[in-house]
Amino acid sequence: MAEPLAPTGESHAARTDDAPHREIDWEAIEASAEFQELVRTRRSFVVPATIFFLTWYMGFIVLTAYAEDFMSERVYEGLTVGYCLALSQFVMVLVLGIMYLRRADRVYDPLAAKAIERWTYLDTDEARAGQAEERRFVTARSEVPSR
Amino acid sequence: MIVAATINTTAVVVFAVILAITLGITYWASKRASSTAQFYAAGRGITGSQNGLAISGDYLSAASFLGIAGLIYLYGFDGFLYSIGFLVAFLTVMFLLAERMRNAGKYTIADVLAFRLRERPARVAAAIGTLNVAAFYLIAQMVGAGVLIEKLVGINFTLSVLITGTFMLCYVVFGGMVATTWVQIVKAVLLMVGIVVMSIFVLNKVGFNPIELFNRAEAAGKAEDSTFSLGPGTFLKNPIDTVSLGLALVLGTAGLPHILMRFFTVPNAKAARSSVVTAMFIIGFFYLLTTVIGFGARAILGQKGVEAAGKGGNLAAPNLAENLGGGAGTTGGDLFLAVIAGIAFATILAVVAGLVLSASSAVAHDVWSSIIRKGQNSDHEEVVAAKVAALSIGAIAMAIAILGGEGLNISFMVGLAFAIAASANFPALLLALTWPRFNTVGAVTGVLTGVISALGLIIISPIVWGGAPGAPDTGAFTWYDLNNPGLISIPLGFLGCFLGTVLSTERETERSFHELYVRSETGLGAERAVAR
Repeated sequence: MAEPLAPTGESHAARTDDAPHREIDWEAIEASAEFQELVRTRRSFVVPATIFFLTWYMGFIVLTAYAEDFMSERVYEGLTVGYCLALSQFVMVLVLGIMYLRRADRVYDPLAAKAIERWTYLDTDEARAGQAEERRFVTARSEVPSR
Repeated sequence: MIVAATINTTAVVVFAVILAITLGITYWASKRASSTAQFYAAGRGITGSQNGLAISGDYLSAASFLGIAGLIYLYGFDGFLYSIGFLVAFLTVMFLLAERMRNAGKYTIADVLAFRLRERPARVAAAIGTLNVAAFYLIAQMVGAGVLIEKLVGINFTLSVLITGTFMLCYVVFGGMVATTWVQIVKAVLLMVGIVVMSIFVLNKVGFNPIELFNRAEAAGKAEDSTFSLGPGTFLKNPIDTVSLGLALVLGTAGLPHILMRFFTVPNAKAARSSVVTAMFIIGFFYLLTTVIGFGARAILGQKGVEAAGKGGNLAAPNLAENLGGGAGTTGGDLFLAVIAGIAFATILAVVAGLVLSASSAVAHDVWSSIIRKGQNSDHEEVVAAKVAALSIGAIAMAIAILGGEGLNISFMVGLAFAIAASANFPALLLALTWPRFNTVGAVTGVLTGVISALGLIIISPIVWGGAPGAPDTGAFTWYDLNNPGLISIPLGFLGCFLGTVLSTERETERSFHELYVRSETGLGAERAVAR
């Protein structure tokens, strides 16, 4: 899908200069078993984790807003239920953060590498430089000498 | 009108040291800020842990340090709610945006939208979102800087704003992202050292027993007229408004352009996510200690300190530092106060530099290069345009801060920035990266709905009209009592994206989705680090 999307002649400089998308069959990668596995595996963690943290956090907020008495109850001396739940948010952030980091390094990164393995040769610095050269050459020929 | 306070010499020396360090960094960085990749993204050569520190430096504003400590001092639990929201927000950033932004984007939020949508409308929409957020946040920080420096050092408000603005512009214009990043790193280290040392002093007074600190704070909070409580409800009195605030906090960070921009400075997605986790640790530790400072201030300064802590309790932390150092007039007290004031100053400088950089990238990269010059300009011209944009934005922000003066309500403007970020930027970005059917009309309607609804709802909110809902002399509406528009404006932002998309006939964007999707998930074709 290298062609500009809208036939308006708008500049897509930000894309065409840098992305090696002409030779890469993005839809084929998307349809590949490896890519589908990557997306499925990542989602199977990220979606439940997102639902969990939003629920736990918004639950805390709703309790703060509507259950003042419960949140003000004592657990131990000056420590209230509200503060315990607040501290649990810190624990949640760190635990989920580290869990995701470990999974990403061990599982998602290798899967992503596998999914794009066949295409990375088109995405080396040399390939990009080659493409840029080719484009400059084409532009130079098609343009009226500008100076 | 402004009464000249006595100038605190120790504080001036500390300020001078901080300014000298940051100017040294800028001089060193200035040799490396020649190309756009260097100017906006530090050549994408920042490591994950450096970026984690820089994100912390970019994110922890004076509102976090002095504002939250002050709110906890005044109100107890309710102040701590901000800490929680600001921290949990990083899970939203990590799970939904950090790596995808790194893989799909180049320099700005607009790059991600323009990747698959019609470029010009997409960039205009993203630039509107970015500039609105940056403007409100920037003016709030400038006013905050003026108020604080005036109180802490004794130089007047206008001069304080001018000094802050001038140094901010120095970093950005001469040193670009490289200087901004290192100023943020230095600030993050200073801020952490400062709050840890203060916390050790406080905990030392209670035998390093946190429960004892809670008990003493509570005992001190029983004084007459005290609003302090270990339970909720003393500051955030309207339940539905609390929920609205909580929602805007947790989703707003994921739409802050100066934070998202930081992900373009690392070499790859792996570094992007490790930087989020590093930032979570630093920011989490910091927010945990805001309780120690706030409770410490309550236990040590007590109700007697409320007046000296000023509006919103912003001066509670510096006053506590003075007390811990030995009290007013003692060498230790003066020194500790001066150091904390200097750290607060560094904190503001690092945040405003990040904001100006993100706003100038939206103007130069999106509006100037892509829309006005249609990509025909040179890289060098864009860097020059970005510097001109930074100077103009900085000058406007300084002018508004000085003209509006101390009357501008800081927390209201920060709240507005978060609400716009969550209602306009976040929905459009998330849907562009995950919804195949999403299109240009959807992005434009979504961003506009988000910005307009957040702005409109803030304008009719009780906080603007200066009274309780329906209060007779203020003209506040009787039927609307939310100070935080998030609960309404965030769903409206998503609804705008959705309706704009399904009601328009534009379908080409589904084809372009494949490339963006694969690229954002795998990093194939993502921007590379600049070889040195």
